Amino acid sequence: MEQPLQTEMWKARSLEELIRILHRLFSEDKVSVEEVQALMESYESNPDEWLQYAQFDQYRYTRNLVDNGNGKFNLMILCWGEGHGSSIHDHTDSHCFMKILQGNLKETLFEWPEKKGNGEMTKKSERVLRENQCAYINDSIGLHRVENISHTETAVSLHLYSPPFDSCNTFDQRTGHKHKVKMTFYSQFGERTHCVSRKQCAPQQPS
Amino acid sequence: LPAGLSQWFPALEVLDVSGTGLAELGEELLALPRLHTLLAKNNRLGGPGSLPKALGQAPLGRSLRVLNLSGNRFAELPPALLGLRGLQSLSLGGNRLHGIPPDIQELRSLEFLYLGGNFITSIPPELANLPSLSSLVLCDNKIQSIPPQLAQLHSLRSLSLHNNLLTYLPREILNLVHLEELSLRGNPLVVRFVRDLTYNPPSLQELAGRTIKTRNVPYAPSDLPENLVRYLSLASNCPNPKCGGVYFDSCVRQIKFVDFCGKYRIPLMHYLCSPECSSPCSSASQSSTSQSESDSEDEASVAARRMQKVLLG
Repeated sequence: MEQPLQTEMWKARSLEELIRILHRLFSEDKVSVEEVQALMESYESNPDEWLQYAQFDQYRYTRNLVDNGNGKFNLMILCWGEGHGSSIHDHTDSHCFMKILQGNLKETLFEWPEKKGNGEMTKKSERVLRENQCAYINDSIGLHRVENISHTETAVSLHLYSPPFDSCNTFDQRTGHKHKVKMTFYSQFGERTHCVSRKQCAPQQPS
Repeated sequence: LPAGLSQWFPALEVLDVSGTGLAELGEELLALPRLHTLLAKNNRLGGPGSLPKALGQAPLGRSLRVLNLSGNRFAELPPALLGLRGLQSLSLGGNRLHGIPPDIQELRSLEFLYLGGNFITSIPPELANLPSLSSLVLCDNKIQSIPPQLAQLHSLRSLSLHNNLLTYLPREILNLVHLEELSLRGNPLVVRFVRDLTYNPPSLQELAGRTIKTRNVPYAPSDLPENLVRYLSLASNCPNPKCGGVYFDSCVRQIKFVDFCGKYRIPLMHYLCSPECSSPCSSASQSSTSQSESDSEDEASVAARRMQKVLLG
């Protein structure tokens, strides 16, 4: 692995290398959002490297933990069946990077609702993210909804959250009311998370 | 499909011909007795001869479990499909369907039905006769209402209705006790109370019909003209437990909002036999004591707690 100069960007040639470089970057006191985003984008998705984490569920999208970044970040793979989408949600004051590994995902950005909000939430923008693109969001930018709008193709995305968080707020688009939810993993490090019932495992899981 | 397919690969179990530009799947398919999964998405299927007519009669009719025809050009559900008694998973997402045939109930083994991304305007009540259906996807269509019979889909765990033209849901939706996922976004759901001012008082025929039903006036098919016998069989029970009445065509439509701890309200349509009746929000547990508004709200909040987690996704 070459040491880049200050102005050069990292290139990850495999998922393993991506994780190694991420560990190195996050071991520093300061992490540059642009650097992480460019690094994530530089990795050319190779299904052979992540297929073991890509565990789909018939009923909804899944969150599959890949690496827990020594407590500094969570790296996970989300699997979206046809038509699967998330609620509108925030990111609990953390950074969120989302890279498409397969298929396409539509991201719709929303403004934060007014304090006394009782009306329809305001859409800021929307876009379709293509394979290998990497998006970034945090609470100061706004809220978003992520959806696989394809009726024929599944989608897989790689997410990095720093610091890690296990709960966030979901928002009702029609009223702006929010509701705190806990997030769980469908699998961790390739192993299906053992649970008694689906409800226990997956109350609400935005991305 | 190549003519010698079943001779070369008699043990074939999974066949994926997606994205090959096929305009028809021929009879070569029928001679594959072990085939359980057929993926033919993103092709040019949809014309009259797209699927072999004898699909249901062949061994395939019992062995095929998964059929994916998404991303094709079907304007109607191909009738040849209906003979696939063993089919568990059917996808016709992203086609050009304008409706769902009532005969869909013949697919007795169906567990997963994906019809998202079509032009469907209404849902036949017969869809509710699929006893094993656990996942129903109807998103991105033009559906204006959901038949209350869908609440009979006891196995339903996931119902996808986003991006349609729904203004309300039938109150029976609260009866789907195993529902874990329900998507409603992108529907013009009414947010304010809507009073239906055009209550048409019952006709004489309806009043007579109501009396016969509620007083249990005996009658035999030979006593009445056939059309009246049929009319009497269409009586609907008023959900007001204190009423015990029935209605035929004349009913009060009333939208009630079920509140989920003040965070999410969905409009549910109630049908009552007269303006004096009031409806509980859940027909599952009928309280025989009081019929006050607060009582019906208690029943509503029990169902509401169960649905809250489901809805906020």
